[in-house]
Amino acid sequence: MRNVSERTASAALGPAVTETVVVVPDTPRRSRWPRLVSLALVVIGAALVLSFPFVAPNPYILSAGVVILNYAVLSTGWNFMGGFTGYISLGHAAYFGLGAYGTGLIVKYLQLPGFVAWVLAALLVVAVSIPVGIAALRVRGASFVIVSIAFVLILLLVFQSWREFTGGSEGLIVPRPFPDLMRPEHHRVFFYLFAALLAAALVAWWIIDRSKFGTALKSIREDEDKARSLGVPTTRFKLIAYVLSALVTALGGGLYALWFGDLDPIFQFSILVGSYMVLMALLGGVRHLFGPLLGALVVGIALEYFKLEFGDTQFHLVAAGLLLGVVVLFMPDGVIPAVRALIDRFRPQQTSIRDVTAAELLEQNRAAATSEPRAGASSDHRAGAAPDPHADADNREVVR
Amino acid sequence: MSAQAPVAVASSLETVELTKSFGGVTAVDHASVRFVDGKVNGLIGPNGSGKTTFFNCVTGMIKPDAGSVAYRGNDITRHASDRVARAGIGRSFQLCRVFPRMTVMENLLVAVRHPSLRTLLRSADDEHERERARHWLRRVGIDHLEQAEARNLSYGQQKLLELAGVLMGDPDTIMLDEPAGGVNPALIGRIATLVRELNDEGKTFIIVEHNMEMVMSLCDHVVVFDRGRPIAEGAPSDIQKDPRVLEAYLGV
Repeated sequence: MRNVSERTASAALGPAVTETVVVVPDTPRRSRWPRLVSLALVVIGAALVLSFPFVAPNPYILSAGVVILNYAVLSTGWNFMGGFTGYISLGHAAYFGLGAYGTGLIVKYLQLPGFVAWVLAALLVVAVSIPVGIAALRVRGASFVIVSIAFVLILLLVFQSWREFTGGSEGLIVPRPFPDLMRPEHHRVFFYLFAALLAAALVAWWIIDRSKFGTALKSIREDEDKARSLGVPTTRFKLIAYVLSALVTALGGGLYALWFGDLDPIFQFSILVGSYMVLMALLGGVRHLFGPLLGALVVGIALEYFKLEFGDTQFHLVAAGLLLGVVVLFMPDGVIPAVRALIDRFRPQQTSIRDVTAAELLEQNRAAATSEPRAGASSDHRAGAAPDPHADADNREVVR
Repeated sequence: MSAQAPVAVASSLETVELTKSFGGVTAVDHASVRFVDGKVNGLIGPNGSGKTTFFNCVTGMIKPDAGSVAYRGNDITRHASDRVARAGIGRSFQLCRVFPRMTVMENLLVAVRHPSLRTLLRSADDEHERERARHWLRRVGIDHLEQAEARNLSYGQQKLLELAGVLMGDPDTIMLDEPAGGVNPALIGRIATLVRELNDEGKTFIIVEHNMEMVMSLCDHVVVFDRGRPIAEGAPSDIQKDPRVLEAYLGV
């Protein structure tokens, strides 16, 4: 939005006034979206989620709700790495599967209670993710994507082939943690467990997002070498983000195992599930706390719908692929920024000059010019920048 | 020997026999250089003489094949660039690099000085840090752009932003790779003034620059590179007369 107005300004008025116009955006970005509105939306959203089990018409819809919350947990978990650092892992289903199988196998072989197994499995996954992270994070970009895919495929083969231990393709039955509960009740309990896990993940993401650590992670996403030259210990920070991401994803997987009760390597270590996590996060917006959750809602509902309508066909995959294409082409930053931009169009524009008449602008420029000398040191740079061939670069995006 | 004892110059940054090859090309060739602490040091040389590679080897962006780098008596050879930065050496890049999709303020809050758990979980909105950031933004003269996204700044403004970002790391030594590259004369003057002021406040500078006017007026000590190694060093006025330097530049 801001860019557009600046561009219009320079086109109409030439470079001489550009500096004055560019100075305008001094309202803090965050205040454009008042805190109260955000808080209200969060409260409403939470209320909607918590009331869902009571309004769900049948157990099937309720179980679909559990699936969607599970996806939201996984995608938010993915976003600890993908969103903050920009390292796109397409193989994050590896941690979903390890969390699930870890929980199931501990219950089966050590006879421990389900939720103890869940926590133990998550800790085991953390232990696994450290060496894997150290190895995988040595490479960037497309190479990292390939490594992440390779990792999940290796696990798929191992869990399929190691029949005596994992049950192979016959699957692994995980005993239910609440054997006395009827099916709808079981869904309801797990709906709230997933909601609690999601809430915890969101809070953790939010804390990091606001922290110095989060700023450092985001600088890695923007330009890793530059971040490093400013003293950011990138290797360590990326690893911490990776392990946190694996932990949240594994917790989601473990809870899934306890809920669904039947594990199959082909689904647990599926590139498809990993791709869904990425698609959901991208759709909602990886830079936003609720981006993955929103994406999980949209994609999750769409997937359930297509599976219901077109049953045996693979049409839901085509639909998911199309959706990914649309998002990447038209909303590269996701739905949340797109919607915000749309809403901002209907608000009074503090930073726009479009509703300023030419006469008013002239007056403003005159005022700015007379106040310039008082600005002292900074004015000679600003005045000096006008005849500069680069001066109109203010209106260009300097793409790196 | 003792009659002509070498002037004891405090060495801020010192390399011994530093070497880096890319395939068959030796970009830095057994370069032994000492930069003077507390001064504005210039590093000049024809295109392709290995200045930027030398910079990158010193700051840990690339690993040298052989030789050593010491900073204030501590060996920092092959230290990763973040460790070099936290040891007190800040640097800018030849093609200025900022974080395009972060605001100017966020750009400044990136620098990490002490990576402890306590400082890391602290809110990035920490008022003390913000005040420091505003201080440096005022110093470089872009405080009015605090909330603008860095990608919307002009190239000159981005150069100033990069410098402010480096200063946030509180370095003792600042290495600038072509600070005058691609900016207009007024801004070059502004950057030169800043360097002089910061030098008065105790910062050591090492500057790679092609703009001879800037080098000669700004630097106290100049090292000339040719084919990956220093061929001359001394005061700017002496350097200008040195036949080896003229040869390297003019190819006589």
